[in-house]
Amino acid sequence: MAKFIRIDMGTRTAEIGACPEKYAGLAGRGLTSMFIADEVKPTCHPLGKYNKLVFAPGFLTGTSAVNSGRISCGAKSPLTGGIKESNSGGSFSQKMARLDIKALVFEGLPADGKYAVVKVDKDGVTFDEAPAEIVGAGNYDAIKVLQDKYGPKVGVALIGPAGEMKLSAANISFADPEGNIRSAGRGGLGAVMGSKGIKAVIIDDAGASAVPIARPEEFKSAAKRFANALTTHPVTGQGLPKYGTNVLVNILNEAGGLPTENFRRGRNEWANNIGGETMAATIEERGGKTTHGCHAGCVIRCSQHYVDKQGKYITSGFEYETIWALGADAAIDDLDAIAYADREYDEVGIDSIETSVAVAVAMDAGVIPWGDAKAALDLIRQIRQGTPLGRILGCGAAAVGQMYGLTRVPVVKNQAIPAYDPRAVKGVGLTYATTPMGADHTAGYAVATNILRVGGFVDPLGKEGQVELSRNLQIATAAVDSTGMCLFIAFAILDIPDGFNALVDMINARYDLSLTGDDVTALGKTILKAELDFNRRAGFTSAHDRLPEFFEEPCPPHNTVWDFTDEEIDSVLAF
Amino acid sequence: MADHARHGEGAGRDAAPAAGQDTIELRAFMGLAELFRTRGWPVPLPVRVHPGTTGPELLRQLDIAPEQVEVVFVNGKAVSPDLAVMSGGDRVALAPPGVPGPYRVLLGFRKM
Ligand code: SF4
Repeated sequence: MAKFIRIDMGTRTAEIGACPEKYAGLAGRGLTSMFIADEVKPTCHPLGKYNKLVFAPGFLTGTSAVNSGRISCGAKSPLTGGIKESNSGGSFSQKMARLDIKALVFEGLPADGKYAVVKVDKDGVTFDEAPAEIVGAGNYDAIKVLQDKYGPKVGVALIGPAGEMKLSAANISFADPEGNIRSAGRGGLGAVMGSKGIKAVIIDDAGASAVPIARPEEFKSAAKRFANALTTHPVTGQGLPKYGTNVLVNILNEAGGLPTENFRRGRNEWANNIGGETMAATIEERGGKTTHGCHAGCVIRCSQHYVDKQGKYITSGFEYETIWALGADAAIDDLDAIAYADREYDEVGIDSIETSVAVAVAMDAGVIPWGDAKAALDLIRQIRQGTPLGRILGCGAAAVGQMYGLTRVPVVKNQAIPAYDPRAVKGVGLTYATTPMGADHTAGYAVATNILRVGGFVDPLGKEGQVELSRNLQIATAAVDSTGMCLFIAFAILDIPDGFNALVDMINARYDLSLTGDDVTALGKTILKAELDFNRRAGFTSAHDRLPEFFEEPCPPHNTVWDFTDEEIDSVLAF
Repeated sequence: MADHARHGEGAGRDAAPAAGQDTIELRAFMGLAELFRTRGWPVPLPVRVHPGTTGPELLRQLDIAPEQVEVVFVNGKAVSPDLAVMSGGDRVALAPPGVPGPYRVLLGFRKM
């Protein structure tokens, strides 16, 4: 019987119950968003007593299905004020699934302002005081201390100093199989965890049995077909493993959609220095790892170990969006400096996209010079020091813009717009505007042939077909976010229809169901509707679904502008 | 305001446009960038073309197999190699299969 665990941080007690009927058919983002929509008061203060934090593995997590180990975290966001689902790799999710835990819910506020370590294992939930040496410490050291104390193989979710300070861009970090860091980055869920007095959650699956599969033979053959789709596709089989997501720097630069110097233009002259090709060559030359998985069972392995000139590890999971934000938006033409900044983000536990865009806004405000790597690193280190400027930076791009009186602040619903200029890649602009998550590129990531029925090529610089494209991408993504699958599987599924069928077949075989592709689409719609409804009850209207007005300025080199009408934008999620 | 003047021609930065009256300025990404490297070609590579050169003609001229190229960017617009047409002065880039993301759809590489 799947367990649903509620943990009250006020009394430090846990209630382990059976999963309520209404959540039995849900997982991942579907479960976290439905739960938040049901139980969290939409008008509550995100850091107050009415907010709840929920962790849920996906439908296929814990099984032998490749790439299925993602964890979904949900709460009301301190950054956007709306509903938030943020997901991550790491080994936490697979251990939760093996313990047959459908969801971990954290409620209430601590009575004493002290930090706890919550431990979950097959015998239940226990509470310890957080070891003094990890409070205020960097996440890498904290994970070492926790794995020394609780065992080298335990799963760890934790907050860093940013979460302790309850900064709006604080993230939740998850240990990967090597004790390095992956994060549920966006939306400030680390601040919610901090407000509940949780320094870390430990999960130990020792003694747990394998995840049950209702129809094992069928599952096995579907899992094989699925893995085959991923390993034979050029994106997931070659592009991502070799170059990581950072290969997009040169592509977006060429397409004129690589926002440069706080979104002043879509192309720059130094993109190749920070792009995936240069990064892969640098890692190879220095003896780092060009390919690495964020959880056991990932066959795409888009992550890497970026090392310094001496071959010493600096950071992993070094993603396009972070590199874009510091390298192009903040004009720091220095991959090593960007890697050190990424490491500091992981140490302090803060969203690398939000904070990097905030650095660019700070440069625009004249706080530090454009492209100054050293000044940027000093600024980022101020977050850990808790200086007033560090805290402002840690509350995101909108906070910095407000403090310095700027109008050129690239956010939607207070969340920083990532790496694709909405004037040159118009479909993604509609997703930024309308997703209930605040500007989020991953909200419209998944593409599945069965779901997407848009005809013809899309012209990224034009409006035609974009509304349908954004809508369908958002629906497909909401569904994929429920499977526990890494979104990158979507690339292979797009071209290999059997990959999508195999995905649905695996879910059916695992739970003894008979879902079709249409059911998956319906699930995506249900999730989005619940999220939009939460935001509506929290006070959001269509007026919040707008891009900042500076996007009316032409974006070189194509000199296109953001020109969707309000009606067009509002039709994206009108289904 | 951004200080654009700061971006001079530092090491690794794009030099003055390589494209001339009868040459295109050619870039290549991912595995194709490696191909350029092994052939000792600079990036960007100036390539002499006749007005209206097509994608297949360009690839033949460069001795690059058609299956190695999924998309050709001509002046920042992605088109399938068969439909690409270019002339001197154009900025052209080659992307192989394997560009991740819905961007293959969003940038018009792929038809839905
Ligand atoms: S492809 Fe990348 S993000 Fe996805 S599971 Fe693998 S390492 Fe993690």
